[in-house]
Amino acid sequence: MHELRLMWRNTRMVVLCAISAALYAAVLVPFKVVPLIPGVTELRPANAIPVVCSFLFGPAAAWGAAIGNMIGDFFGGVGPGDIFGFFANLFYGYIPYKAWSIIARGQSPISRSPMNIAKYIAVCLAASVLCADLVGWGDNLLGFRPFSILGNVIIFNNMLSALFLSPLILIGVYPRVRAGRMLYRDVMPELVERSRARQVTGLAILVVGEVGAWVVGNLVSTGYWIPSFLPASFAQPPYDKSIAVMVSPLIVCAIAGTLMM
Amino acid sequence: MPIYLYLDNSSVVHRLNPTVKVFALFIMFWSVYWVDHPLALLPLGLLMVAMAQLTGSWPNFYRLRWLFILLIFFTTLAWMVFYRKGPALINTRIIHLSRASLMFGLGRGLKLAELLATSVLFLSTTKVEEFTAGLQRLGVPYRVGFAITLSFRLVPLFIDSALTVVQAQSLRGYEFNRGGPLERVKRYVPVVIPVFMGALRKANNMAMALEARGFGISAVPTSYIDYPIDTRDRVAFAALTGLGVVYFLIYYMGYGAISVN
Repeated sequence: MHELRLMWRNTRMVVLCAISAALYAAVLVPFKVVPLIPGVTELRPANAIPVVCSFLFGPAAAWGAAIGNMIGDFFGGVGPGDIFGFFANLFYGYIPYKAWSIIARGQSPISRSPMNIAKYIAVCLAASVLCADLVGWGDNLLGFRPFSILGNVIIFNNMLSALFLSPLILIGVYPRVRAGRMLYRDVMPELVERSRARQVTGLAILVVGEVGAWVVGNLVSTGYWIPSFLPASFAQPPYDKSIAVMVSPLIVCAIAGTLMM
Repeated sequence: MPIYLYLDNSSVVHRLNPTVKVFALFIMFWSVYWVDHPLALLPLGLLMVAMAQLTGSWPNFYRLRWLFILLIFFTTLAWMVFYRKGPALINTRIIHLSRASLMFGLGRGLKLAELLATSVLFLSTTKVEEFTAGLQRLGVPYRVGFAITLSFRLVPLFIDSALTVVQAQSLRGYEFNRGGPLERVKRYVPVVIPVFMGALRKANNMAMALEARGFGISAVPTSYIDYPIDTRDRVAFAALTGLGVVYFLIYYMGYGAISVN
């Protein structure tokens, strides 16, 4: 995750970050008026953009996704939950290229072999689940909405865009960007990857943390499972305290895994 | 379609220092967080109405009126599903309608609506450059602030170039509105690709132009615009701090909560 810090020293990466953010927001804003669940989330075909930009611009796209989402929120109103949205989108833009570099090792994301398609689905799912976990956890922690609403709607929304739209855009854009030597590795040749063992361990910790957070968040926020060791006062809606105790460690675990990658 | 909510008026709130406005945003989030009861939230709602009148922000509130209504309605409805407490008037597998669930849901809906109103007021009275200046004063690095400002500036350009591509393709007989919802969204993919490539062509020139102007040479660059803090800002700061303290005391003294019975 050191590249998220290093990229700010490179002027071209700063510009690519702004371009990723603006492209994301430019698609996000017109669809703000098409709510999927009114008051909760809208139809977001724009969620295809961070995945595309992630494969192209790497860390610049991660910050671009976070800033682009913030601009989108500015159009429809901001709240404390948007702080979680900022970081959730940062990871949504960061995980695809990073996890891809670990499991596909230099292969092109537009390759259509069955194995690569499976890997593509896996990295998009990993990014979508952590994004959904962070927003669902944050909103439930503040007591605004149950984890089980946002935690699931966001995965559905992100995967729909990442699976149906991102590949179509990537096929059109990736070869041109590669030919123009604008991929993040060309723009930031000084980037040094961490050891493979550390990256694989980080990815494994990320998956365990995020899947655990998603399962526990759903069970606790719907009241289906409240561990017996928690005080009785925790076992009542909006289950914010139970979510804080049960889901927070798993979120920390997922973020720690991402930091290691 | 207008993208930003900023209204060029000259109210007292418009003239406040950007850092004070960011602080006001935080204090409103803080105050709303501590209370659950709709009656405890009412004074903040009245304060919003007064501020909307003072700042002339009603056009933006009117523009987002359906968002406010849907936000309150669907949040209230959602909590009737999850907040299953108190003597039930209607109790089915899905909905639990009781006085407690209604008050809790309405309280959450009002909280979110007041947060939305706060952000609408903030955006109606704050320019993008004021917002980034406020963030920088709060410690956000200059390069991040620059990327945020640049992204905001690029969004309308990208939307304009997307509309140009849509018009050009329509003239050639391409039908954007054929098929189901997913098919329609897919038909916009050929619009995204030229916008994307056009943006990337600008990226290199933009980076060179920035470096030619000394971008990144100093960590704390000089600024043409200055935002001094005067008496008006100090008074606003004190009033906001007072509001935050009062709402915390309401919570601390046990008021503002919802009784289950």
